[in-house]
Amino acid sequence: MTLRAYVISRILLTIPMIFILLTMVFVVIRILPGDPVLAHFEKNVDPALVEEMRVKLGLDKPLWAQYFDYVFGVFRGDLGKSMYDYSPVAEQIFSAFPATLELAISSMIIAALVGIFLGVQASKRYNKPVDHTIRIFGIVTYAIPVFLLGMILQLVFGVGLRWLPVGLRMNPMLAAPQGLTIGALHFSTGLYTIDSLLEGNMFKFVESLRYLFLPSLTLGTVLSGVFIRLTRTNMFETMRLDFVTAARARGLRETTVTYRYALRNAFLPVLTMIGLQFAALLAGAVLTETTFSWPGLGTYVVDRINFRDYTAIQGAVVVFGILVSIVSLVVDLLYAYLDPRIRL
Amino acid sequence: MIIVTSSPDVDTTLTLCCHVHSGSDKLVLQFVTRFCQRLKSYIENARIHIPTVKGMKNIKAISRMLIVGIIIVIIVVAGVVGYYLTIPTTPAMKDTLVMGTTDSIETCLDTARAYDFFGLAIVGSLSSGLVDYKPGATGSVDDIIPALATSWASSADGLQWTFTLRQGVMFDDDTEFNATHVKYSIDRGISINDPDGAFGGVGYGDLIENVTVVDKYTVRFYLRTPFSPFLSLMAFQVSFIVDPRYAPFDAVVEYDSSRTPRQNHAMGLGPYRLANWTRVAGRETEIRLEANTKYWNASGGLPETKNIIIKFYSDATNLASAIRSKQVDVAFRQLEAVDIQNMMTDDNLKVWAGTGAFIQYLCFQERYAPFNVTAIRQAVGAAINRTTIVQTVFLGQAQKLYSMIPIGMSGHTDAFLTLGDPNYTKTRELLAPLGYNETHKLAFTLWYESSGHYPQSEDLALALKSSIEGSNVITVSLGNADWASYKTKRRNAEMEAYIYGWYPDYVDPDDYIYPFIHSSGGGWLNTNYSNPEMDTLIEWARGNTSTATRNSLYTQIQSLMVTDSPIISLYQGSAFAVTDPKVKGVYLDITQVWRYWLVYIEQ
Repeated sequence: MTLRAYVISRILLTIPMIFILLTMVFVVIRILPGDPVLAHFEKNVDPALVEEMRVKLGLDKPLWAQYFDYVFGVFRGDLGKSMYDYSPVAEQIFSAFPATLELAISSMIIAALVGIFLGVQASKRYNKPVDHTIRIFGIVTYAIPVFLLGMILQLVFGVGLRWLPVGLRMNPMLAAPQGLTIGALHFSTGLYTIDSLLEGNMFKFVESLRYLFLPSLTLGTVLSGVFIRLTRTNMFETMRLDFVTAARARGLRETTVTYRYALRNAFLPVLTMIGLQFAALLAGAVLTETTFSWPGLGTYVVDRINFRDYTAIQGAVVVFGILVSIVSLVVDLLYAYLDPRIRL
Repeated sequence: MIIVTSSPDVDTTLTLCCHVHSGSDKLVLQFVTRFCQRLKSYIENARIHIPTVKGMKNIKAISRMLIVGIIIVIIVVAGVVGYYLTIPTTPAMKDTLVMGTTDSIETCLDTARAYDFFGLAIVGSLSSGLVDYKPGATGSVDDIIPALATSWASSADGLQWTFTLRQGVMFDDDTEFNATHVKYSIDRGISINDPDGAFGGVGYGDLIENVTVVDKYTVRFYLRTPFSPFLSLMAFQVSFIVDPRYAPFDAVVEYDSSRTPRQNHAMGLGPYRLANWTRVAGRETEIRLEANTKYWNASGGLPETKNIIIKFYSDATNLASAIRSKQVDVAFRQLEAVDIQNMMTDDNLKVWAGTGAFIQYLCFQERYAPFNVTAIRQAVGAAINRTTIVQTVFLGQAQKLYSMIPIGMSGHTDAFLTLGDPNYTKTRELLAPLGYNETHKLAFTLWYESSGHYPQSEDLALALKSSIEGSNVITVSLGNADWASYKTKRRNAEMEAYIYGWYPDYVDPDDYIYPFIHSSGGGWLNTNYSNPEMDTLIEWARGNTSTATRNSLYTQIQSLMVTDSPIISLYQGSAFAVTDPKVKGVYLDITQVWRYWLVYIEQ
């Protein structure tokens, strides 16, 4: 199979996957107990008002009609209206997305850096105390609940040492960074680190980094366990290959041999894992965001579950699902590009 | 300020001139020093180890490295300079107070729809009512003080209430306040009758027949029926005045991120202006309040603090960390009981405890067995150990409640104490004639809400189960449902016994009686309890203006409640706020009003 044929087949496979996801989310949400419209009201209300709300939310239609409305809506970018506050769900998710993206990117950077570095160190000292320590660290961080680690870090660095803030995205005394404004043009990413730079406000930039650090460290540390184990195993095998011996024989320094020669070869599966961990990252983000009051998609989902806001939960699950599908598609394609054996 | 000069000569010397300003400069200095050391070591290694043939390539590499290094240093220096240039000028401590909460505005800042604790607290700081409760109020009519009305009078039959308005009061947009605004505000709320709002929920339309403008500064309310808590109702934030320029008569002012903060609320007569209201994904991230210089009581020195910044935390644990780490000056609603207990011994914090108006109670479904029998309801009521509930479940941060009317409120009596606390002998005596004993136990399912809508729901249910089973003649199994399902089950009368909770609308015993045990007002609770004698007593009490007569009627009502036992009160929550010790002006009274305008930080 050529690369092009592989790409096409992989994309075609993603489409039914998304359809199945949409259908499952639709069905699961509707078989949950509790009437979402009645749940909205505290006391008994006029049945006419309840009916009016059903019509407003499209719940008066038969299930199949609701399903088609919903699927076509998703393809138009319309995820319905919140049953809680009647706002468009797509707009709400869009407003929460930058916070989650910022957290995801910084966590992945920390996870990859910590994981790869410790994995390499463990493989270099195979079966030595350092290796054992790193392995234990890897297992503990992999197993520890993200909210527990978050709370420990909050207690140590926030409450105890008071070096870092325990929650939120920005210093309460400062307004959120607005991005770049030139005349009537306004450009903003929603990522506070980038927006503060665009605004040219270094103080806000440093503050946004301070507020970003603990949640990223929490999520990054939990995810780093996978990278430690993967890097360690791959590096251990790679370091025993002939080309590494040859590089050493040429008199190259050990650091050069390790990072420039061996790690480059051992890195491919790690790179793939970075993509595959994206789903875990989003799941972890839900709890990390709640622990650190980070106003992203995770906090949104938890809030909406509490309010039994069906359309919002449905929308968030669909967005998460589509994101994971896209990332796994990109990873598969990258992998196929880098390793021709996949296409066989 | 850090200046770095470098010269790639034979000796590769790097000169560093630094003047250390602060910790962050030190970090930069360390970074630059390490970079230079690495660079130097690289150059030296290259000179020693690399064969001469590759010399030229290495010189190129070194040059590249130097260029990159210089660029990095320039960026770092620019960053540090930028940092110092953009440090905001810190406002005086007294001027700004940061508050943290786990609450949020459930709907909007419009009296026509807002019906949640936090939303109404903000409404109360953006507007004023005709009357108000003085700080430390107990709910008595004597605690009601003038606000936008300077005086008031009611007709002998209690059907007319006339208010004389304060003159020279300005909205924040410079419109002068007058009687038409009062009429507009009430008529609008009744007319919109939003299904989520309090105008419908409390039944303003059923109470108020008409609002008439007598003259520019006099307004008269005509009631359909005598309603003694009317002044309390006027002190309720839902009755506060809206600004017609921002509040259309036929539509609710909803949040819209594209509009200015001023356009996002309907108010305008309060101690504060809304400077910022940010919502991300339907949940608040920040609210900023700025002192309203046109506030009618600005001459009285209010508000005490010019700027209030409210930040929103996702849970009680994070809020507790925030106040402990001094990220916020005030933490109010909701903190865990165990955190509050620990904070009480923390010298760096001050815990403010006050009367809570939140109560929880046990409802019985009377449509079917076993609770269609009064003796069984009384028997269960007699087996409740409130001491365990208060001490074990709430760590002493609640009060045992023997009436639906809370402690500290006019008319309260410890009525249910006559059943015992617990009195297992009475339980056995009541159940024995019905054939229930140690070998043939009464069995029922006790339901509780499981998704965190009420505090410590599961613990409360377990404590109740243990307490009731202590009688040795009753077996309790537990059932639970998330809030949405719980409400559906209540509507469908599916639960035989279930725990519910209540925050008051207006501060009056009527608000703790009428919505629960009046056959009409209590319909929403769906216990299917109905007693015409009780209905008559309640209607008399809400129509009578004499405090003594009302108290007498409420004593009879509470006594009849024990006899019928349709609902058994369990506990009354206490209100807690935790602040920096320098924070003053916190009043936690039974009105449950958080008075932003009185809170300040002592210099």
